[in-house]
Amino acid sequence: MTGKTVDFSDMAQAFQQQWETALSGWWDQVLESPAFLDAMGQGLETGARARQQYERAVDDSLSAMHLPTRADLTRVARIASLLEDRLLKVEDLLLELRDDLTARLSQAEEEAVKARIEAAETRLELRERLGALEARLAEQG
Amino acid sequence: MVASLEVLRFLKTDPVRRARPGRTPHGVIHRQGSSRLLYFPSPEPRHTPLFVSMPLINTWSIFDLLPGRSVIEALTQAGVPVYVLDWGRPGPHDRYTTLADLVDTRLGRALDRTRRHAGRLPDALGYCVGGTFLAMHLARHPGCVGRLALLCAPIDFHASGRLARWATPESFPVDAAIDGFGNYPADIIRGAFAWLRPMGQWSKWATLAERIDDPDFRALWAHLERWSDDPVDFPGEAYRAYVKGCYFDNALISGGWQLAGRPVDLGAGRVPAHVLSAERDHICEPPAAEALAGVWGAPVTTERLPGGHVGVCVGARLPAALLRWLGA
Repeated sequence: MTGKTVDFSDMAQAFQQQWETALSGWWDQVLESPAFLDAMGQGLETGARARQQYERAVDDSLSAMHLPTRADLTRVARIASLLEDRLLKVEDLLLELRDDLTARLSQAEEEAVKARIEAAETRLELRERLGALEARLAEQG
Repeated sequence: MVASLEVLRFLKTDPVRRARPGRTPHGVIHRQGSSRLLYFPSPEPRHTPLFVSMPLINTWSIFDLLPGRSVIEALTQAGVPVYVLDWGRPGPHDRYTTLADLVDTRLGRALDRTRRHAGRLPDALGYCVGGTFLAMHLARHPGCVGRLALLCAPIDFHASGRLARWATPESFPVDAAIDGFGNYPADIIRGAFAWLRPMGQWSKWATLAERIDDPDFRALWAHLERWSDDPVDFPGEAYRAYVKGCYFDNALISGGWQLAGRPVDLGAGRVPAHVLSAERDHICEPPAAEALAGVWGAPVTTERLPGGHVGVCVGARLPAALLRWLGA
């Protein structure tokens, strides 16, 4: 006997960690084994086939009752989706057209403003020349 | 024993069903099929808007889990308007949606509407497969964003750990699965992710029992459960092309991949990219994400954050890293 007290919470924690590590190692071996991978692939394939057969059976039953099938509804939804896509392409074109028009408009506006500035400058020059002429006339007169 | 009783008492209150993720105010500015472009305005917009491409196989609300633990809330509060592409829930007719429809058309249109709404070129962030799609899009259509950040987005799929070892032509009959199921079922994807780390389920309950007295943790646990209980199907034909191109052929690294008659060449990427990976990510291990640096056509920086593939989204470190990257 050493006289030390045993800390059960530390022991439990250590045991838990060891258990986790051991189990993780075991899972790693299982999950990477060829047998597991084969089974996973086969399970997925079987599930997919079963789903396909189930849907076909449901569709056949609905067809026999002259009711719309899941495939019919999917087809209609697909057509709606393609129509939406075409509308969005038109929207894209309109937006590009608007960009183009805005660019052209701003270019035209810029040119118009430049022309007005030039005209105003010409008028100012003329006014200055007129003022100079008037001053010379006043000197001579 | 006492903790177990407390857990039972907690579960009896039906906390998962009562959890309400995705509460940051937002509007919808564009729709296509089941997908929506969400706009989260900033109370004081001061920075370049951020476009976010979420994964297809879960809802977007992991980025807005609950107040105080929301990436979107943190970004908008810091002055970054956020646009989120929510891919939505595909219907049976979406089994015909191709990968090119998603990568080129849907993503391209969402980026275009974001630029028009924001009035300027946004920066972009892609999470998980949403990030892979974003990188593919930007390599095929450069110039629609200013900068790119990828969070836990696989690029070198053969470096993504156990998932890559499972998703081989020998063990994964993807053709039979899509022919049979149509869209690839969300429950199978969720199951596969759970089996990637079987002890994760045990840890989840053990952690809840350990921290059952912490009300913040209880709320976080319930919201995470709510989010992970709500997976989304993957459009069938798109999934077939994605698995074959990315997992079977690892074509983002090996090259030679044609999508809708055009090459997918990440070397054509022209915007600077920042790769964020999570240290304990078991779905996209850090080397799988960081491989972008070897193939992207513009400078790439990398950063590792603590946490796992999902946990990285609910801590304070991700918003801080994003704000640093955005210069906000």
